[in-house]
Amino acid sequence: MVQDARLYQIGFLALFLLLGAGTRDWSLNPVVVLSAIATCLITQALCGAVFYPSDSLDPETEDPETEDPATETANHANHTGDFWGAIALRCRNPKILSSLPSALVTGLGMSLLLRVDHPLTMALAVIGAIASKFVLRLRGGHVFNPGNFGIVMALLWSGDAWVSPGQWGESGWYGLLFLGAGGLVLQKVGRWDTSAAFLGSYAVLEAVRNLWLGWTWDVWAHRLMSGSLLVFALFMITDPRTIPNSRTGRLIWAGAIALLTFILRNVFFLSTAPFWALFALAPLSLLLDWLLPAARFEWSQSALRLPFSPRLASRQKYVPE
Amino acid sequence: MRSFRVWAIALIAFLLTFTVSSKALAFCGFYVAKADAKLYNQASQVAIARSGNRTVLTMANDYQGDVKNFAMVVPVPVILQREQVQIADSRIIERLDSFSAPRLVEYFDPDPCAPPIFWNRPMAAPAMESAAPGRAGRSNQALGVTIEERFTVGEYDILILSARESDGLETWLVQNGYRIPQGARDLLRPYIRQQMKFFVAKVNLEEYENSGYQALRPLQMTYESPRFMLPLRLGMVNAESSQDLLVYILSPEGQAEVSNYRTVKVPSDAEIPVYVKDEFSAFYKAMFQTSYTREGRNVAFLEYAWDMGSCDPCSAEPLSPEELRQAGVFWTRPEMPNNVFITRLHVRYTRDKFPEDLIFQQTNNRSLFQGRYILRHPYTGEMACEAGRQYRRSLRQRFEQEAQTLARLTGWNIRDIRDKLPQIRAEQFPALPLVARLQQLMGRVMER
Repeated sequence: MVQDARLYQIGFLALFLLLGAGTRDWSLNPVVVLSAIATCLITQALCGAVFYPSDSLDPETEDPETEDPATETANHANHTGDFWGAIALRCRNPKILSSLPSALVTGLGMSLLLRVDHPLTMALAVIGAIASKFVLRLRGGHVFNPGNFGIVMALLWSGDAWVSPGQWGESGWYGLLFLGAGGLVLQKVGRWDTSAAFLGSYAVLEAVRNLWLGWTWDVWAHRLMSGSLLVFALFMITDPRTIPNSRTGRLIWAGAIALLTFILRNVFFLSTAPFWALFALAPLSLLLDWLLPAARFEWSQSALRLPFSPRLASRQKYVPE
Repeated sequence: MRSFRVWAIALIAFLLTFTVSSKALAFCGFYVAKADAKLYNQASQVAIARSGNRTVLTMANDYQGDVKNFAMVVPVPVILQREQVQIADSRIIERLDSFSAPRLVEYFDPDPCAPPIFWNRPMAAPAMESAAPGRAGRSNQALGVTIEERFTVGEYDILILSARESDGLETWLVQNGYRIPQGARDLLRPYIRQQMKFFVAKVNLEEYENSGYQALRPLQMTYESPRFMLPLRLGMVNAESSQDLLVYILSPEGQAEVSNYRTVKVPSDAEIPVYVKDEFSAFYKAMFQTSYTREGRNVAFLEYAWDMGSCDPCSAEPLSPEELRQAGVFWTRPEMPNNVFITRLHVRYTRDKFPEDLIFQQTNNRSLFQGRYILRHPYTGEMACEAGRQYRRSLRQRFEQEAQTLARLTGWNIRDIRDKLPQIRAEQFPALPLVARLQQLMGRVMER
């Protein structure tokens, strides 16, 4: 049994991409998807080489790995002034390989949600998404959900990116698939409460509005059965590295995002409301972590045995910050 | 420390509720009969030119009955003043329709024994039927109904109503001689609660007779609102069956799409048998119905998405700057005259599959799409060469392929289609030498 939930996520996101392209009349351009995948992996590797501290905590795994031979040599090379040698050695940092699945999840998620006219736009959005993990950091963690950050940046700054909230339609079958797949992944990372809190509070808010307006209940069901909303709730806001660590914090946070989504959608008529809500409230998770401290989430590594660093795989003990 | 955290959370929640202000501000109404005439609206056409929050909405009016019975009620997001409502030229909707309509193109195969020559001639688009009936009356009462504006534009008398309760509005409409369909009251309420206003139009007979026009002209309204939607629900009250809506969205950005239903491209670029030329309307209707059923009856079809500066092939000439202005385009400047992208959406809706009003969004997607169907006329002249014989043999397979495509798209019986296919006869090629004719016969025997 594979332990790393990210691999499930990668599998499901890839499946959704294929399903969507095959059955939902999407104008998915394979070149765009490939550019997203290639860019996310390359950017992650490069950023890892540049930013991962060679002798302290790894931002992705935060394994207290201090005696890795590669990093030791890298430090040595730095001291002797051999710049390129140091870079080459840094590229062999085993933490880079272990962080690639996260990057791939971001790349696939963005291919699924973001539509662009040109592959370059996708590449830039993905670079922004991955780079945000390394540059926009506070209290030892990244501030924004990388995929969400990339999507919002592309919507804001590029002239040819958009999001199609109606792309999945509201077919019940797809809804079940999303719920099932999302549930499986969230079970593995123990963050199902976030999705439940988001969907639950959003459903309640929409129900109250529906009741007040006097719409029939199929209007409510139609608004909630949107495939895009489910993908967002199950695969985007649940990124365990950018949500509050304590359960209470997560519930408050997810409820706040649901409320802001509801307001943006029904008062400001933004069809891409969930993305803006998540973007605006991402920093709130840092505040909630400060108010309600709890142990930080770590990706389990046992699925990724690193060929040139056997000691890492054998040292899986989690040491809190 | 703990109480401090609780206070901090409460403060954040408080700030959140105050960082959002409230603004409420949508379309396609139902037609109301004043007399006992039968209500029925089968198809409607709407053009929406939109940039930012500014919207110019043109509603085509193909009402066929007695004009004194015409009336319509449309929910609108804001109170409209006299200068925000205009009469548009009815040819504008026709021009948008013919420019963007799904098209049949034909190609003529060249003589396989000679250097190639191509023709590419656009055919007339299928005529999209539109109908828009209704009736009306008027009066003035309290009942929580306020007449916000009252004015006459062209042949129409227009009232902008706001209401506090749906019961009051219904009573007002009934007292003023509008025949409200059963169930309209429940559907008026959500629009009233969203603080929408009601645009009520009926024909001013005197003005109508003075105008000298034979048909009612389209009404065009201009307003600012973040809402980008069309209210379908009211229109479904008096619908007997599924209704067709054609929406032409004009944007400076790119394609528009429906954000709360799937937007699906209509099947396109299919090669179909030549005989369809004489029954393109029937073909398109059958094909649309088949796609509609196949997609689950709850999608919006994209029939055309194009930059309005060009077309290829053109089913009609692109609209002139003056025509675009009449269609509501307000953002073009002399230095950028063609900054207009048109999206044609065709929605066939029923109550059970479209519970929610249509919400649109503009995207930056500038990829071009057209509903386009291809006829390839075979070469029928003399072909006294080997290439000609190969060509002739390839035709049978091609016809069969076209027949299958047609059957798949329309759901028509493949045998009926095959019966209408051209027959390939040896007499068409009398100039072939004896040996070649024998080979041809052999080929035919082997194909069988």
